[in-house]
Parts: sequence; C-alpha cells; structure tokens
Amino acid sequence: MFNVKISLFSRAKTLENKIDVFHDKVIDAAMTFNKSMHVYLSEGRCEAFKKVNKQLKQIEHDADQLRREIESRLYSQNLIPDLRGNVLELVENLDKVINRFDEVSYQFYIERPEIPEIYHSRIIDLTGQVTECAENMSIASRSFFRDFTLVRDYSQKVYFLEHETDLTSGRLKEAIFDSDMPLANKLQLSTLVDEIEKIADLAEDCVDELLIFTIKRDI
Amino acid sequence: MEILFFVYLSSGLFLGWSLGANDAANIFGTAVGTRMIKFRTAAWIASVFVVLGAVCAGGGTTATIDALGSVNAVAGAFMVALSAALAVYWMVSSGILVSTSQAIVGAIIGWNIYSHKPTNTDVLSVIVGSWVFCPLLSAGIAMVLYWLVKLWLRHSKMHLLRRDSYIRGGLIFLTAFGAYALGANNIANVMGVFVESSPFAAFSTEWLSLSPEQILFLIGALSIGAGIFTYSNKTIKTVGKNLMSMTPVIALIAVFAQSLVLFLFASQGLKGLLEAYGLPSLPLVPVSSSQAMIGAILGIGLAKGGRGINWMVILKIAAGWIATPVIAASICFISLFFLENVFRQIVFQ
Repeated sequence: MFNVKISLFSRAKTLENKIDVFHDKVIDAAMTFNKSMHVYLSEGRCEAFKKVNKQLKQIEHDADQLRREIESRLYSQNLIPDLRGNVLELVENLDKVINRFDEVSYQFYIERPEIPEIYHSRIIDLTGQVTECAENMSIASRSFFRDFTLVRDYSQKVYFLEHETDLTSGRLKEAIFDSDMPLANKLQLSTLVDEIEKIADLAEDCVDELLIFTIKRDI
Repeated sequence: MEILFFVYLSSGLFLGWSLGANDAANIFGTAVGTRMIKFRTAAWIASVFVVLGAVCAGGGTTATIDALGSVNAVAGAFMVALSAALAVYWMVSSGILVSTSQAIVGAIIGWNIYSHKPTNTDVLSVIVGSWVFCPLLSAGIAMVLYWLVKLWLRHSKMHLLRRDSYIRGGLIFLTAFGAYALGANNIANVMGVFVESSPFAAFSTEWLSLSPEQILFLIGALSIGAGIFTYSNKTIKTVGKNLMSMTPVIALIAVFAQSLVLFLFASQGLKGLLEAYGLPSLPLVPVSSSQAMIGAILGIGLAKGGRGINWMVILKIAAGWIATPVIAASICFISLFFLENVFRQIVFQ
C-alpha cells in the first residue's frame, strides 16, 4: 500500500515537471519568434536569422515530444481520469500555438519578403503583442493546474491583447494597401501580417476552452 | 438441526447479497463511477473491510434490532429475512436505491403483527427518528466538509496531478472505512434476526477468538462480499452517474460524510466514550447507507447553491424509502401465513 502510494506520487511529480517544461516551451517559442522578427527586420535572411529559425524548430520539436509523453503518461498511468481529456486538449492547443510560431518564422525564411522600413515599427508592435498574448495564454494555462482563480485574470489579458493585434494588423494592412508597392508585394505582406495575427487568434481559442475547463475543475 | 438452520439461513444470506449489491455501491460507486479506482480493487477492499466491520463491531446495532422484535423461531427468522431480501431485490432490479435497514424493520413489524407480539414503539421511534436524522446529519457533515475542502484547495494551490493522487489515496482509504462502517452498522439487518436461533458454539484459537454471534456475522459478511462482486456494478451506475455529476473531490466528500454517519450510528466505543464524558451520543441503529449518501450529495448540492441536483431521482429514491418497509411487512405477513398453515412450520413461539 505504501509503495503504491509512493509510486503514485512520484508518477504525478514526473508528469507535473513535464507539464511545467511544456509551458516553458510556449514562452520560449514566443520569445524566440519575437527575436527572429527583430533579426529579420534589421538584417534580413542572414545567418543570425537562420540560427534563430533553427532554435525555433528545436523548441517546436521538443514541445512535440513532450506533448506525446504527457499524453501517453496521462492515459497509461490513468491519471486525472475526469480531466485528462481536457488536459490533452489544452496541451494540443498550446502545441498548435508553438507550431504556428515556427511556421510563420519559417514562412519569412522561405518567402524572404521585402518590407519597407516605414512598416518595421508596426510589425515590431504586432509581433510584441502576439508574443505577449501567447505568454499570457501560457501563464493562464499553467494557473489551471495550480490556482484556477488566476486563469480568469490572465485570460482577460489574452482577450485584450488579441483585440489589440486585430487593430494593429488592420492598420498595418490598410497602410500596406495605401502604399505604391506592387500588388504582389502588398498581397504577400498582407498574408504574412494575417499569419502573425492568427497566432493571437489561436491563443484566444485556447483560452476560451481553458475557461470552460476551469469551470469543470471547480469543485 | 444445523443443516436445517443453514437452509433457513439462506434467506439471510440472500439479504446479505442484496445488501452488498445495493449498499456497497454507495461506498465506492462514486470512486468507480469517476474512474478513480478500478471496480475490482474497490470490490476487494470493500469486501475485506465489510467482514472486519461486521465481525469486530456488529454487536451494537444487532441489540437494537433484537429489541424491536425478538424473532424467536428460526422459520420465522427465515421468512423475515427473505421478505426483506425480496423487497430489496425487487427494488434493486427496478433500478431504485433502497434501504436494507427499512426492509428488515418492515419485515420484523410484519412478523410482530402476525405473531401478535407488541412492537416496541420506543425502539421503533428511535429507529425511525434515526432514519430522518441520518440523511440530515450526513448533509450537514457534507456541507461543512465541502466548504473546508474548497477553502483548503483554494489556499494550498496544489498541482492538479498531486491533488489527484491525494484524492485517489483518500478514496481508497474511505472505501475501506466506509465498508468497515457498513459492515458494523448493517450486519444487524442481515443476521440480526438469526442471533436468537443460532446453533454455533464459540470458536477459539491461539490468535483468534469468535463468539457464536461473530461466526454468524462472518457468514453474513461473506454473503455481502458476494453481493459486492456479483451485482454492485449495476447500482454503481445509479449512484455515480444519474444522481448528480460528481467530480472525484465531491465523491470523496460524499463518501466520507456517509461513512462517518454510518460509523457514528454503529460505534459502541465512541458511544461509550461520549457517555463517559456526559456528552450526547447517537443511538446504535442500523441506518441506510443510501439515505446517508443521498443526504451527503444533497448537502454538497445545497452548499454549491442547489445547482446540478436531479431532484426527480431523489424523489424516486424517497418513494422507495416509504415503499420498502410497507412492501417488506406485507410480504412477510402473507408469507408467514403460508409457511405456518401450508408448510406447517413454527414461525413464532
């Protein structure tokens, strides 16, 4: 009986750590994405940008591995049977955000868009908002496991930031289409702005579900 | 005589089986229903502790049952237990949660009426009073526990997975405690009417000593174990899913409140201790684990603001509480008539 109890606690502790590390990966991905955008805007597709992209790929790969481990441990060790469906969904949603960071950065790497300097500050703003949005989503999700009263607070921040990204991207696209750039460039930039903005949308969707899970978790 | 006694005892064993099938689900139904413990694990723990509770602490409530109506012929005891068992079985198979305590009390009253023996109204009022008090006490305990647990969870900021481990450990402990309390409290329902006509002699070895009453309780408890293994899975579906959507924490609180109430109504040691200090104590009465469970769930539901409770299921169960003693008494009265006049058996002395 004592052994059973000890093994149950140690299994829970191991998984607790994995979930924590997974949340760290979301923040890592967000920060690295932010860095990659700064590097691209200042130096274009240089070695440094390639390096940051590689870093982002590694984070995405590690997160995928962690997600699979979390999923298999939750089921094979029959942990939190009433909530594991929700936890799996949550982890998958967070993973989608990490994937998106990697994909968007890679899209810049592949397409090598030419971005006039007048738009740099707005793109930096947009990237900053998206990064902050994802960070707050990660904190909200982490709170779900320890202190669900905080989930609401951080979710509110995510909603606010998502709205801000909508406004920033709208203004940016308006400015792009008002410019004298060739239509092909306008369309390319507009699509990339949309791609960045969609990260915030994903974070919002994730938080929407998280709030429902929190209601279910409340005893 | 002994073989015939075992034939007569079969009705008690049937009642024990019904009790295992019906009441044990109250103890671990929620834990199994929420998939925190596997059915087989819960069934083993419950069976072992039901036996321990019945053998070690089953004497107190048996004295109360005996005081209500001392069934003094083994054929009469057979029919009393059979009537209660039939009433319980019929209602269990209809998917209604019933009380074995009420069935046996109803059947004893049926025997009292048939044999023109007076029913001890003082004891009856204590028993009926405890039936009313039991769910109320359970609801009160569950409400307090709910608030305390909620407060603790809010302030401890424990990780969801660690909380899950504690709850799982708690549910395993409470399955054992609840089964012990059930055995101690409800064995009187199963074997109480046979105590007077028991042919067993005391059994003693170097490390174990059993009185005739305890041997009877051991046999009864084994039949409860059989009920747990063979049929309680079906009743679990009613407790765990139909009544209210339960989280494992709620399950833990409900089972704890229910087990505590059953223990309070069965523990001779606690009663003695309270009386020694001049404190009010609870009578040792077999109460319904179903009532205690419903009370606990109701208490939690009220603490949560009354949302999420399926009142229709509760009404259905309440109807079963009234119908069970009436049905058991009627079956007993009619069957005693046939047993005495058709089969020529002595049903009372």
